[in-house]
Amino acid sequence: MTEDGYPDALPRGYHLHWYLLERVLGQGGFGITYLARDTNLDQRVAIKEYLPIDVATRRNDATVRARTEAHDERYRWGLERFIREARTLARFDHPNVVRVLSVFEFNNTAYMVMRFEEGSNLATILEQRGTLPEGELLRILLPILDGLELVHNAGFIHRDIKPDNIHVRADGSPVLLDFGSARQPVGHSPSLTILVAPGYAPFEQYYSSGESQGPWSDIYGLGATCYRAICGTPPMDAIARSKGVLGSARDVLAPATAVGAGRYSPRLLKAIDHALEFTERDRPQSIAEWRRELLGEGQQAALAPAAPSAAAARSERPAPASGGGWPVFRTVLAAAVALVVVAVLLRFYPFSGGGKSGPPPETAPDPAAQLKERLAKVEQQLAEERQRQAEALAQQQAEERQRVEAERKRAFEAEAARKREAEQKKLAEERQRKLAQQAEAERKRQAEQKKHAEERQRKLAQQAEAERKRAEQQARQQAVQSAKPAAAPPSSAALLEKADRDYTAGNYAEALAALKPLAARGNANAQLRLGKSYAEGHGVAHDDARAAIWYRKAALQGNPEAQLQLGELYASGRGVPHSDFEAYVWLTAAVRGGNAAAKALQGRVAKLLQPVEAEQAGKLVTNLPLPDAAK
Amino acid sequence: MASAMPGSCVVYRCAQLCAMMLVALASGCVSEQQKISATRDVNAVFRTEYERVLAEDGTHIYHVPRDEAFQALRVALGGLGMRLAEQSPDLGYLSVYASAPDPLTRDEWLRAAQADLPKFRGILEQHLGLAAWFVSFEPQGLDVVINATTIQVRGGTAVSLTMRMREVAPPKSGYPRREYAPPTAVRMGLRKIWGALERELPAASGRRS
Repeated sequence: MTEDGYPDALPRGYHLHWYLLERVLGQGGFGITYLARDTNLDQRVAIKEYLPIDVATRRNDATVRARTEAHDERYRWGLERFIREARTLARFDHPNVVRVLSVFEFNNTAYMVMRFEEGSNLATILEQRGTLPEGELLRILLPILDGLELVHNAGFIHRDIKPDNIHVRADGSPVLLDFGSARQPVGHSPSLTILVAPGYAPFEQYYSSGESQGPWSDIYGLGATCYRAICGTPPMDAIARSKGVLGSARDVLAPATAVGAGRYSPRLLKAIDHALEFTERDRPQSIAEWRRELLGEGQQAALAPAAPSAAAARSERPAPASGGGWPVFRTVLAAAVALVVVAVLLRFYPFSGGGKSGPPPETAPDPAAQLKERLAKVEQQLAEERQRQAEALAQQQAEERQRVEAERKRAFEAEAARKREAEQKKLAEERQRKLAQQAEAERKRQAEQKKHAEERQRKLAQQAEAERKRAEQQARQQAVQSAKPAAAPPSSAALLEKADRDYTAGNYAEALAALKPLAARGNANAQLRLGKSYAEGHGVAHDDARAAIWYRKAALQGNPEAQLQLGELYASGRGVPHSDFEAYVWLTAAVRGGNAAAKALQGRVAKLLQPVEAEQAGKLVTNLPLPDAAK
Repeated sequence: MASAMPGSCVVYRCAQLCAMMLVALASGCVSEQQKISATRDVNAVFRTEYERVLAEDGTHIYHVPRDEAFQALRVALGGLGMRLAEQSPDLGYLSVYASAPDPLTRDEWLRAAQADLPKFRGILEQHLGLAAWFVSFEPQGLDVVINATTIQVRGGTAVSLTMRMREVAPPKSGYPRREYAPPTAVRMGLRKIWGALERELPAASGRRS
């Protein structure tokens, strides 16, 4: 529905009772498997939803329905099977078979809740490593055999054995997954969906009938998985093989004995080839049989770990001839046959004591006694032989157990050492990371402190500067205030007024004495009057150049009278170089400042300029300040 | 406006004397009023051209303070041979002058004259007839006066230039002086001044206004 790549899947975050769906793990012909969280127990689980895509489909309300009415019966039948099989599989509590925790109906379909196994998929491991060494392969294979045997004994076959369905946990133990395809092989509907994993499915699985399928079918899958693990590629597909086989041509599958020669033991390679026999009757018929081939008769009892529940499950069905006692069994059988033969002979032979024939000759030794004696000897020899073989077997088994135990111990220790080393490395890295983090934090803290210190310093400096300015201001104010009552100097206007009076009265020295300081301090009116003093030669020597200097100072402050006077000087060339342009500038400024007397002269000078020069001069005037009155 | 072609060879001198004689003859047939009218028309045409050139290229704006532009302008004009007549840094005004053809070289002046002479003579011909063909541009007795202003504007300084011809000696031709320089000479002169200024302001990017 919303999951990318799985249009039929339920969306992420969907609630199935107390299971919260997290993502899709995969989809097959029979349904979709999700990774979910059991919110009650707060643990991850895998949930398989029954959704046979060839007969059913998902509706918008998340329910699953048969595609058509014609499909409904088949869908219902499959649903019932799914639930029943889930319940059956839930009975298996084997460390190497995925644990079914629950099954329930919802959304018009059913859901099988399984334990979620962390670790790596065997297919992924093989993809990464290409092949596996014999020891490692057997460490994965043998526990799987044990789990699968439990399933077979319960009357099920997996039907989809392949590397993708074998999971290897972090501790190296394998677990068989995905029993979604598991079926009871005998006596059920012929409408089973054909399940084939090319290369891993035997030829009989290409038939729709399940009658010819059995443990040998799973053994083919296991053999193919082993074949993939020793030569790097799966065996060719059974259909392709059938062309060679049915055409009376040579089977084109390269045998494991050829592919793995020199790298794997002949026993293992032969067992793989046997499992991969094209015709089902030519293969091992049970897991036990194949295990014996894999391990040799003496080893399998020691190597195959017997899980209690598996043994219990096996006990529900008659167990196949089990393992390592085959030579003893044969010996005992031979002895029993011999005894029967002897008994028959005793029963029917004339020398039998119970016979109908005449009495034996008196001088002849008693044949019955001789026979009994021989029989006793035979029995004794047989007993001795049995004892010897049992002892040898026990010793062999003990040695094998020790070897396996030692090997397991070594592997365990190596694994523990590896884990310890990894843990130490991780701890060291963690320590290093923490140190780096601490160093970084310290660096940041120091930088922050430095920044704060600088900020503080800056603020202090600002405060000090503000304080200094305030103090200066206060000092100035105090100075002004303290000076005021003492000196109480007349204002500039008053001084100017007095200077004007003195000037008019011809008291030029006093007038200039008042004007000069005022002009020097930038008083435009005082500058104008001082300029006039120089221009008119009153109180000072006539000096147009000096007059122009004071006029310019006042004119630049926007004094229109000074601007007019300066303009006249430029127009006439007195005290300054003759410049109609600059004359026009000052006269225009004077006119702009409201000096009407400047107007006539400005007009005359304008005629001497180019229009563009007048325009250029006008722009200069706009940059001059306006007189206070004109503002 | 007498012809004043430079040359040192005898043939050239002879030709020049002949031309002067022809001009004198032609001038003798032209009234003073005709000369004034001709000059006024030429001035009017040249003034229009001059104002158009100034509108196009008479003002540049530089992203520098006014003082910096003023100093650079003074240096640039000085480098082109112009002498300072008046300066007012507080006002932003600068006036320079030099004997024509400065700030153009003689070759540049000749090129400018050749470009504008046909139009010049065409105008004169309406008033002077054939005598117009003996009139030429002459730089002698003339100053080139340049007024430059620097005004603070938003984002920089606007530098404006104007240019005029100022008579410092009477012309040999006896014709009234023109105030406006030939338009091509104005255009070339402005280009030289802006180039020199921008070399003095390497960091400032200029644009026309």
